Amino acid sequence: MPSNTKYGRATLISALFVGGGQIYSRRYWAGLVFACLFYGSIGLMLVIWTGVNEAFWGLIAAWILVWLYNVYDAFKGANYHKPPCEKSCPAGISPWIYINLIAADNDEKYPHVPFFGTLEHICPAPCEDECTRRGIDSAVAIKYLKRCVSMEEPPTIERKRKEKIAIIGAGPCGLSAAYSLSNKGYDITVYEREEKPGGILTTLIPSFRLPDAMLNEEIENMLRERVELKCGIEVGKDTEFEDILREYDAVFVAIGAWKATTLGIPGEENALSGFDVLRKIKEGKTFKLGRVGVIGGGNTAIDVARSLLRQGNEVSIYYRRRIMDMPAEHEDRIEAQEEGIEIVQLTTPLEIHKDRVTMTKTECLEGRAGAVGLVKGSEYEVEIDALVITAGQWPESSFLKDHLKTDKRGRIVTKNGKTSHPKVFAGGDAVLGSATVAHAVGQGLAVADRIDAHLRKVPGFIYNILRRDFLPAIKLIPMRKAQRIEIPHRKIEERIKDFAEVELDASNEDLRNEACRCLTCPLKFRP
Amino acid sequence: MSLKRIIQTIATVIQNAYIPAIFAGGIYQGFLKRACTPILNCWGCPLALFSCPMGALQHFIGLGLIPFYTVGFFGTVGMLVGRMTCGWICPFGFFQDLLYKIRSFKAELPKPFSYFKYVVLIGVAGVIAYLTAEPWFCKLCPDGSLIAGIPLVLADRTGDLRALVGWHYYMKISILLAIIVLSVAMKRFFCRTFCPVGAIYSIFNRFSLLKLQIDDKRCIRCESCQTKCPMHVPIYRSPSNIDCIRCLDCVKVCPTNAIKHKVR
Ligand SMILES: Cc1cc2nc3c(=O)[nH]c(=O)nc-3n(C[C@H](O)[C@H](O)[C@H](O)COP(=O)(O)OP(=O)(O)OC[C@H]3O[C@@H](n4cnc5c(N)ncnc54)[C@H](O)[C@@H]3O)c2cc1C
Ligand code: SF4
Ligand code: SF4
Repeated sequence: MPSNTKYGRATLISALFVGGGQIYSRRYWAGLVFACLFYGSIGLMLVIWTGVNEAFWGLIAAWILVWLYNVYDAFKGANYHKPPCEKSCPAGISPWIYINLIAADNDEKYPHVPFFGTLEHICPAPCEDECTRRGIDSAVAIKYLKRCVSMEEPPTIERKRKEKIAIIGAGPCGLSAAYSLSNKGYDITVYEREEKPGGILTTLIPSFRLPDAMLNEEIENMLRERVELKCGIEVGKDTEFEDILREYDAVFVAIGAWKATTLGIPGEENALSGFDVLRKIKEGKTFKLGRVGVIGGGNTAIDVARSLLRQGNEVSIYYRRRIMDMPAEHEDRIEAQEEGIEIVQLTTPLEIHKDRVTMTKTECLEGRAGAVGLVKGSEYEVEIDALVITAGQWPESSFLKDHLKTDKRGRIVTKNGKTSHPKVFAGGDAVLGSATVAHAVGQGLAVADRIDAHLRKVPGFIYNILRRDFLPAIKLIPMRKAQRIEIPHRKIEERIKDFAEVELDASNEDLRNEACRCLTCPLKFRP
Repeated sequence: MSLKRIIQTIATVIQNAYIPAIFAGGIYQGFLKRACTPILNCWGCPLALFSCPMGALQHFIGLGLIPFYTVGFFGTVGMLVGRMTCGWICPFGFFQDLLYKIRSFKAELPKPFSYFKYVVLIGVAGVIAYLTAEPWFCKLCPDGSLIAGIPLVLADRTGDLRALVGWHYYMKISILLAIIVLSVAMKRFFCRTFCPVGAIYSIFNRFSLLKLQIDDKRCIRCESCQTKCPMHVPIYRSPSNIDCIRCLDCVKVCPTNAIKHKVR
């Protein structure tokens, strides 16, 4: 990258002439102050020199400190305090930087982030919950703005390292790690059970939320001639984990969470499972079920309900806590309700029959958050034609049991991405239980660094010290009194008929205006 | 320029305004020197008009007396405004503020360092000063080196002072150098880690008349106040933090106007 050689040169200049590198990178004040401090103090000592004594070594230490800080500063460049949006991004993206690139019409491109387009569509946007602009009117539409970011193409790679790395699972976590590690020049092999890479994104998430064409292009663009993809191979069945351990220098396990839990109530075999329904719909099957009940309150429940609605069924969701407690993404829940899906809160099934379900009311218990108890005598029957259960998933990690430590839910126990086996690393849903794509991407990238540090035998903290973040020239934008952009949606009557995307494009003008609402916190709020 | 910067500039000038010293050399030893300025400002500076309370305190401690005058003085100022003088009129604090403005690589100071200033206060300015009967903090103080030590030695015409330069002077210069570099990298490094005057005032932050108040219903925990704060105090969590210097920047910067200052 061109910017890297610039910093490299600045570091060299600073090592030779204190303050020179800062002046070279146009930070004149910093250069001037460092030079004055270093050469000024030497000059002072020359003027008042009275010979070497014990404290002379203290002086040498102080000069070394000045020199070291000066070199490190030239190497890293100036930095800012992280604003809330950046601190809260699980994927490690700096939203304020790309927003500023848009707002200031800057030609620089944001460095490539894997699954950036996917995040634009389905991230729950924790950054917007933290955005400072909330205090004035409402959060900047950080997630929606992703669609007009001009991003760098993935860099061309060269195989400069001889180690081989295996990655199990081609979900967002595994592929992000594969991308990052192939940039570093490793030889990567990805094992995937399904026929196509992408994990949950390709196999399950319906296309009205995440357009297939975009996703495929993104994955294709990211992986082009970089990694060896072995699809249709399930580790633990088609090939043994031991063989992989023996053959590769490091293994990254990102198998996601695919083992569905059961409710443990009579008649459960009469119900469908949410994952099966979503997978079959993705494969092209049409369900004509009539009146459908969906049990659950997560993303899966909402996705199942909205997909079935689009195939002409009448759908209700039954959730055992309150609507406001639903873990599903808020925006999707609202959209689902707009589309005419009824959400019945504080209800849970007791027994499932062929044509009807016995439901009972629940109540929130005081004390423990999220705990519910059944209300005695509130049982009632609901007549439905089919019931879909989406009751959470946990990792299927039994084939790893002999090698790695897992907890009782099947999650792999890790510390900074390292598992109990020195060669094996893990991340994504396999470690977190069901989380989000942003967590998966963030962990993939972070663990890739850990693996790199491990294979180079560099301690983690030194590896972190030498990392450099992307920071273009940022402009402070005057504060604007504008309301948050209204994200255009397709008309409700139209969108419940097919699987095309629900969110529409806004004009560039509107997007620019939205970007200008950002307060550029790090610049505005520095001392 | 904000009001704070203007006052800081004026205060710096007033506290060091003995112009004749530039032509005549020597230091001012007139009537005003008997009074303390409410903040760290070396009395040995050729331009200084007032004496430094830390110097006075150590002087009395060294003599084995109880320093009623300085303790009362600190107490009065502290009870009124807490650590406000640090934020508005301290010349060395102002100097560090300017250093931090330089665009460079910034780091965060680990929290436990904040308590080290009590060690300096009790250990160096108290116990050691008492045992040796010498003002040991002044002997190491970077403000003293910057505005007194260096100019005095450089402007020395007779050569008497220069002859005295020894290991002690070398040490002062190295401490000054290190503290300047670290204050470029961290917010007010000296104030937060070492300053014994700040340490004394910080005790009063909890009781002072001037107070900051957070409206918890309004605060959205955006931490803008902490980022803006010259001492990096999480003011929205602890409005009477020992490190709060009452500069009131956070009051201006809070997007929801959740911070109020009030006199109780
Ligand atoms: C219906 C649904 C909707 C969701 N909606 C959202 C949303 O709106 N926003 C959001 O942020 N997140 C959402 N999520 C969560 C998100 O999809 C996951 O957190 C994310 O995909 C996890 O990525 P991963 O790489 O860790 O795992 P996965 O995506 O699950 O990938 C794991 C891959 O490993 C493969 N694999 C498993 N075992 C083996 C084996 N033994 N051998 C070889 N390969 C194997 C699997 O086939 C899979 O391809 C949703 C999840 C679901 C189920
Ligand atoms: S206003 Fe801008 S910089 Fe501040 S949190 Fe929101 S998006 Fe980030
Ligand atoms: S700036 Fe205001 S809203 Fe933000 S954290 Fe501080 S007090 Fe709270």
